[in-house]
Amino acid sequence: MLKVENLVVNYGYISALRGISFEVKEGEIITLIGANGAGKTTTLVSVSNLIKKESGKVIFKSQDITQTPPHKIVKMGMCHVPEGRKIFPELTVYENMISGTFGNPALSKEKINQLIEKQFTLFPRLKERRNQAGGTLSGGEQQMLAIARGLMMDPDIIMLDEPSLGLAPIIVEEIFELILRIRENGKTILLIEQNASMSLSIADRGYVLENGVVTLTGTGKELLVNEEVKKAYLGA
Amino acid sequence: MLSQYIISQVVNGLCQGFIYALIALGFAVIVGIVGLATFTHGEIIMIGAYASYYIFLACGHNLILGLLASFSASWIVGIIIYKLCYERFLEAPEHISLICTIGFSMLLKNLAQIVFGAEKKPMLNVIENQIYKFGPVEISKVQFVIMGTVIVLSTTMMIIFNKTKWGIALRSVSQNREAAALVGINVKQTSMIGNCIGCAMAGVAGMLIGIYYQSISPTMGATLSMKAFSAATLGGLTSVPLSSLGGVVLGLIENLGISISTASFRDVFSFGFLIIMLIFKPTGFVKRKGARP
Repeated sequence: MLKVENLVVNYGYISALRGISFEVKEGEIITLIGANGAGKTTTLVSVSNLIKKESGKVIFKSQDITQTPPHKIVKMGMCHVPEGRKIFPELTVYENMISGTFGNPALSKEKINQLIEKQFTLFPRLKERRNQAGGTLSGGEQQMLAIARGLMMDPDIIMLDEPSLGLAPIIVEEIFELILRIRENGKTILLIEQNASMSLSIADRGYVLENGVVTLTGTGKELLVNEEVKKAYLGA
Repeated sequence: MLSQYIISQVVNGLCQGFIYALIALGFAVIVGIVGLATFTHGEIIMIGAYASYYIFLACGHNLILGLLASFSASWIVGIIIYKLCYERFLEAPEHISLICTIGFSMLLKNLAQIVFGAEKKPMLNVIENQIYKFGPVEISKVQFVIMGTVIVLSTTMMIIFNKTKWGIALRSVSQNREAAALVGINVKQTSMIGNCIGCAMAGVAGMLIGIYYQSISPTMGATLSMKAFSAATLGGLTSVPLSSLGGVVLGLIENLGISISTASFRDVFSFGFLIIMLIFKPTGFVKRKGARP
């Protein structure tokens, strides 16, 4: 469904990505793990075309989207939940969710209402707070709102950038359970995480990033027991 | 008859304040949605005034046509400003687009002096002179029309901003451009529309001012845009309702001020109030919602 080939990205003189390739197939949960500065977030923002790519190719649904502007990529059914949530703080929870539907103009009013109900069953806490300003939610609730906003466009693939960032362990578990539920609803998921043990345990396949290159790849289980991964990311 | 005098000054102040409010509201929309300041606002006011002037000349005393003319003329200038001064500089430091708008404002002002002539032009008497009495309150028909227009325009805008999907798109762009792009909003186009809405409000205000003062000139925008800037500062620069409130307050203070002194002190009162306000409450009337305490 999504294929990235030899992606190279430079920030000024610093090379952030030095030729990354990976593939996400329909219905999979794929995770990219790596330490700070390995290039995880850079990979996602360059797939969404928020930054300039030096070279490489991004193919989504067998179309080349390397140079497509971000809002058009979204309209093709790719949803990107950015790092640090980035919800709209002065819009209410409900308005934040409506803003998620801009990415899919084909949605009818009924379908939007259905989607909202669906998100409210997935995230019951958002329902309680639907008329509250987004900025007043707690960190975990904001993350849920960011994911819900992403799901409102009924995307085919959802890319999550560090959903566990800065959250209490119990909330992190809740979020990972949600990710599994989202997959059950038929979405493809590309997950970027520092929390390697959690993300590998739910992922079908994983890629390990180091200094802007993929150094290891395998199924989630393989990577979980891999000695190098254990040493570097799992603290064992 | 002192109380009579005060009441009529309050009415004058309200009317003037409503016009300031419309300009300030446009300013707040531009700063809020484009995220960059503008110094071309005064010239937009002037363009709006001239557009309606020529329409009145050509088509007779038709207020609606004049309003449409100033609205669309300033909308078009808004597109030009966006393309010239903002679009390429969205990622650049703020002062670049700021200086660009200053330059464009000089260009417009001087072009207007060449094209329209540097002298003041008398605005046609579009609305006949008639005075309504409500008890002790006297309102002229002109003031009535001005207040009505401002109220209708600003409520329409509030409804668009707060109740429609369009409004949600505009507001989300103003809050986080990157996230807005990620939910599929065409950020560039949406900010251009925001800029045009702001300009159109200023243009209509230009027409109203022309009608109110019965004269227009290519340099009429300078003080007005400063007043609007002050009013918007009172509203924290980006809050639309508070900026309008700032405009009304400014108009009232000016007119009450000149009622106890002379009319040439008009600007002293409005800008003096701004300075005092900024010293004691630099954030204006604003109380941020959506921020966790």
